[in-house]
Amino acid sequence: MLSRLTRRHNPLSFVSLILLLAMAFLCAGCQEDAGEKTPAAAKDSAQGPAQTSARAGRTLVYASTKDIRDINPHLYGGEMAAQGMVFESLVTNTTQGVQPCLATSWEISEDGTIYTFFLRKDVRFSDGTPFDAEAVRLNIEAVLANRLRHAWLDLVNEIDRCEVVDSHTVRLVLRHAYYPTLVELGMMRPFRFISPKCFVNGGTAGGVSGLAGTGPWILSEHRLGEYALFTANPGYWGEKPRIDSVRWKVVPDHQAIILGLQKGEIDLVFGSDGDMFSLDNFEALKAMDRFATAQSQPIASRAILVNAHQHFTKERAVRIALQYAVDRQAIVDGLLNGSETRADTLLSPEVLYCDVPLDIRSHDPAKAARLLDEAGWVMGADGVREKGGDKAVVRLAYNANNAQEKSIGEFLQANLKALGIEIRLLGEEKQAFLDRQKSGDFEMQYSLSWGTPYDPQSYVSSWRLPAHGDYQAQVGLERKEWLDGQITRLMTERDEQVRRDLYRDILTYVHNEGVYIPLSYSRTRAVFVKELSGVSFGLSQYEIPFEKMFFADKAR
Amino acid sequence: MYAFILRRLLCLVPLLLAISFLAFCLTAASPSDPAEVALRVNDITPTPEVIEKTRQELGLDRPFFERYLAWLGKALQGDLGTSFVTHRPVARELARALPSTLALACVATLVVLGVGIPCAIVCFVREGRLADILVRALIFLGAATPTFWAGLLFIWLFAVHLNLLPTGGLEGASSFILPACTLALPSLATYTRLLRAGMLATGQQDFVLYARAQGRSPLAILLQIVRNSLQSTLAALGMTLPKLLAGTFVVECIFAWPGLGRLCVTAIFNRDLPVIQAYVVLMGLFFVLFNLFMEVAGALVDPRLSGRGSAGRKGKGRPDKSRPDTSMEDRA
Repeated sequence: MLSRLTRRHNPLSFVSLILLLAMAFLCAGCQEDAGEKTPAAAKDSAQGPAQTSARAGRTLVYASTKDIRDINPHLYGGEMAAQGMVFESLVTNTTQGVQPCLATSWEISEDGTIYTFFLRKDVRFSDGTPFDAEAVRLNIEAVLANRLRHAWLDLVNEIDRCEVVDSHTVRLVLRHAYYPTLVELGMMRPFRFISPKCFVNGGTAGGVSGLAGTGPWILSEHRLGEYALFTANPGYWGEKPRIDSVRWKVVPDHQAIILGLQKGEIDLVFGSDGDMFSLDNFEALKAMDRFATAQSQPIASRAILVNAHQHFTKERAVRIALQYAVDRQAIVDGLLNGSETRADTLLSPEVLYCDVPLDIRSHDPAKAARLLDEAGWVMGADGVREKGGDKAVVRLAYNANNAQEKSIGEFLQANLKALGIEIRLLGEEKQAFLDRQKSGDFEMQYSLSWGTPYDPQSYVSSWRLPAHGDYQAQVGLERKEWLDGQITRLMTERDEQVRRDLYRDILTYVHNEGVYIPLSYSRTRAVFVKELSGVSFGLSQYEIPFEKMFFADKAR
Repeated sequence: MYAFILRRLLCLVPLLLAISFLAFCLTAASPSDPAEVALRVNDITPTPEVIEKTRQELGLDRPFFERYLAWLGKALQGDLGTSFVTHRPVARELARALPSTLALACVATLVVLGVGIPCAIVCFVREGRLADILVRALIFLGAATPTFWAGLLFIWLFAVHLNLLPTGGLEGASSFILPACTLALPSLATYTRLLRAGMLATGQQDFVLYARAQGRSPLAILLQIVRNSLQSTLAALGMTLPKLLAGTFVVECIFAWPGLGRLCVTAIFNRDLPVIQAYVVLMGLFFVLFNLFMEVAGALVDPRLSGRGSAGRKGKGRPDKSRPDTSMEDRA
């Protein structure tokens, strides 16, 4: 009986288990062969083994928590740094201002509405298609055909048409003079150029059939969620990259990135605002002999939005008191390890048009307490201020996935508790955070400006959109309508002095109203193996200049 | 038997419909507007005009039940919608990620068996002694360790410190070892203890005494005890595979494993509703199918369960509560 039972039960369970295992391995085996390749990757890898063999040679391994996804340059689904590796624009934004890229020079008409660009003549897309005026026209029209998707960028709404003058000259006709035209043409997206042969149904809005650009890199292999391999573009018109390929490795966990770096599987980690590693991790890696670290110049503004449309924070006196209550220097020294510069104003005076004389509100708890007392918010028996039965309680919303925002929130909690204000921290996953931002359901919210070259014009311009937290925080201001009008006027103002005056008025108003508590000017950071040289930073926090990097040790 | 299987399969239809409806309700009840989410994940500023256009594109302007029926109709044809993030068919995304997760779950099952059975044998043979206590303590410690921490510890020790294995990714057989061990850790304790308890109970049976009296070798007796005790453990293991499949979230994120768990975590963070919806339905399907598989397997070895036996006829296909425990009966 016993043996019969065991023979009847166990073989069946074992057989089913073994069958399942066999199926699973078969599936996994099949997957190895059926690697997901982007259309461009498939096309480019067909060019020959010479390029992919570079993987065995000098490949830089860069780790990111995010996959590159769809890097169609006219859409927003892909990683900007990857888009910047493959696709280029007419001009480029640098610390020296706007410089030529695919256009060698340009002329601007007297009334500021016509931009004529003279294109490079020695440029081809990586699929062999010549880069010429027609390609520029088709690309710009592809962007304009999807205008709604680019509503955040005023230039898209200002372009009336693009005309081909001759094979290497194009003319961009605007509806009004728009002063940030060149800066916005040099941004990472959407005005970058993809081979017209990659268009689908005459455009790019519905996707592309390939990813052939003119940039220094070609996307030669992409396994979604695993890695992307970029190989140096052999036909690149500019200075060619000094490394053969870049492997963009996806490692979702921050700690696993650090461990991969320590094991030597990763050469470079690059990120801003705690999206790749916390400052503690950065400091720990910096202390190790095996790694080199670098930090960019201050690149964006870290601040706390104070909502003028919520019960407690609608009073100007309260908002100003909050500014005096926060010890920014302690945040910079204690939490940011002195690696960032204390911010006294929302935008750094070094940012164009932002050198505006404003009252600095240094840490002064006594003054903050006095302001609150004068506003009628008196200390309650439980240590929390109150007025007319209402408690001084604020919610501070932040993205729970960001390593730094929580620490800063906790610090502010301690700062304001001493003043009799209770902060309730709301750490939420990104979409919930953004939902709250759009609904304006917060008293305080963590905020980071877009950084150069988007600051100040695109950042200030976005204050007019209800989907942004800035709009929601400002909507309770008495002169919000005036503020939006000034911003709209600013974008089309041609006179430099008037433009400066408009920026002064706008920045002074939001500063005086206290809707932002400036914290620090953030930096982009990189940790890399010591053999890697040429690690530098672009103007934007979203770009990674891989083409300037190289391995000093050739035997690698 | 065929009638039994058919009956069980027919029962699955309303169950799967309920799962699909619940999945659709859950995502529809999400506080975020799917149109806004679809725009935000692509870094598009959700202005009212764009939101309206996107709502039309996604069919969100239609009534709830109409949307559900349209989704269900397409799902039955294998079209689970398009991902907000990658703009690829969800079915293709799931098909891409499933094999890796399935393989990982299977290897983890092997680890559970390969480590759990010897551990249980040691515990049984050395019951109450140091080895028993030590193994149980270690197993308990393993089960009590949070998966993310265990994973990071494994990477630090075996990949970084000892330089024996890769830190993550799916690049060859060696990359299975650390994630599979991490995934197996919580189940390992369950099955070791289950098997140990089974062996101790079986060891008290008369047939063991009889075998000893016959003068059979201790090894042969032990093997017989193990074989008899494995039965209940393996039945429970049948449901472990879907549990492991559904429980790979943390492990896949730590080990950069390109599987279903990571696909779902990414989808949750991005509120990629079509992917979340399809994932919930797929997991429901797995649990239901594995349950059916185990029922059919049980019915094959015990015809009474399928309604062919006398007890089955009484209970119309359901196990008869008055039926004595099969294993006990057979052992007796």
